[in-house]
Amino acid sequence: MNFIELFQQYAPSFIDALGLTVRLTIVSLVFASILGIVFGMFKVSSNKILNFIATIYIDIIRGTPLLVQVFIMYFGVAGSILQPMGMNWNDFGGGFTAGVVALSLNAGAYMAEIVRGGIESVDRGQMEAARSLGLTYGKAMRKVILPQAIRTMLPSIINQFIISLKDTSLISAIGLRELTFNSKIISANESADVMSIYLIAAVYYLVICTILSKVANVLERRMSYGK
Amino acid sequence: MESKVKVRGLIKSFGSLEVLKGMDVEVADGEVVCLIGPSGSGKSTFLRCLNRLESITGGDVEIDGFNITDKETDINKVRENIGMVFQHFNLFPHKTVIENIMMAPVELKKMTTEEAKTTGLSLLQEVGLSDKADVYPAQLSGGQKQRVAIARALAMHPDIMLFDEPTSALDPEMVGEVLNVMKQLAKNGMTMVVVTHEMGFAREVADRIIFMDGGYIVEQGTPEEVLAHPKEERTINFLNQVL
Repeated sequence: MNFIELFQQYAPSFIDALGLTVRLTIVSLVFASILGIVFGMFKVSSNKILNFIATIYIDIIRGTPLLVQVFIMYFGVAGSILQPMGMNWNDFGGGFTAGVVALSLNAGAYMAEIVRGGIESVDRGQMEAARSLGLTYGKAMRKVILPQAIRTMLPSIINQFIISLKDTSLISAIGLRELTFNSKIISANESADVMSIYLIAAVYYLVICTILSKVANVLERRMSYGK
Repeated sequence: MESKVKVRGLIKSFGSLEVLKGMDVEVADGEVVCLIGPSGSGKSTFLRCLNRLESITGGDVEIDGFNITDKETDINKVRENIGMVFQHFNLFPHKTVIENIMMAPVELKKMTTEEAKTTGLSLLQEVGLSDKADVYPAQLSGGQKQRVAIARALAMHPDIMLFDEPTSALDPEMVGEVLNVMKQLAKNGMTMVVVTHEMGFAREVADRIIFMDGGYIVEQGTPEEVLAHPKEERTINFLNQVL
């Protein structure tokens, strides 16, 4: 069979798998964004304890491979925490939840660094001007600093979104039938066309990543002001 | 007369470097005080201590009767009554001119959006920029930016205005327009503390000039006393260099 025929034959299965990849990505990125903002704020805070907590979190995540984090979350947590309590991952939504937790924690750490960098890129005078008007630290952050920081952060955030999307392929290792694992299962039956099957997966990844970066370009243009 | 600003024994250190070495200053209601002195003398640091943009190492600072060195004092409330204008304007670049002016009054619930807009537009008229309400700061000249910054500070109806070298970052031809706005403000009875290198402005507008050097007040008095008849060696040397 040629590539096109294979593509058509396995389209339903790949579209299901794509759905799972996209769900994993979206849910993880929502949590990662929240983690990123919280720990990014911790990082720029003058409170030494919050600062320390954020530093530890970021260092641990950045210093270990995502695949190991996924295994710790799935096999490690199941064996050492859930099992002694008479439970397993299926009581919490199965591998999907484990995968989302691992991906969120991972992307959250990188997002925190992006948020820190964005906030620090805003001139100090902006915070001073906002505070001198009587705004609290929190209000000055929300109304003055973050709206400006987001512009600097946007390219890096989108970059991280694309990385996280591709990182979902590692979730195949805990048996979730997303794009990569789907290809692996199909190629077991189509041993003559392994190349084509993985190329099909690559095409799906390429298409959604390209869409994502185009959307990013539009957003970036919309967010420029008065220039 | 009632004192708007009362500073007693103000000390400010950055690490082991003592920048202010015990300052005593009182500013009366409606008084215009200009701080002059060589760079590094502590003028700007002193000004920034008055609204606690710099943490205060020692001594007392009382603004409008509130001791801002006291931890119990809500500094944000006190700051609402102290306007500050910076050397580099520090306008919010993501907001239009009118939004810059309206933000604090609306956020701090001093005014409704409509009231803030009306106030903002009339302040823009006062500083001669009625036609710039809807443009972004990036489209303004330095002098225009600084006039917007003054309008933004005035929108909170402050009792005191602090100016930190408001004309130092401006092209020479734009200095006048900003000084004129400040003169008008002084004429209307605003209490002002101004760090400046504009000796002409200080001579014309100030009720009192304070000459600082090395973290101390070296000499103070009317413009006539300090600028025309300085008594201290250091004041004389400084004035010889700048005049």
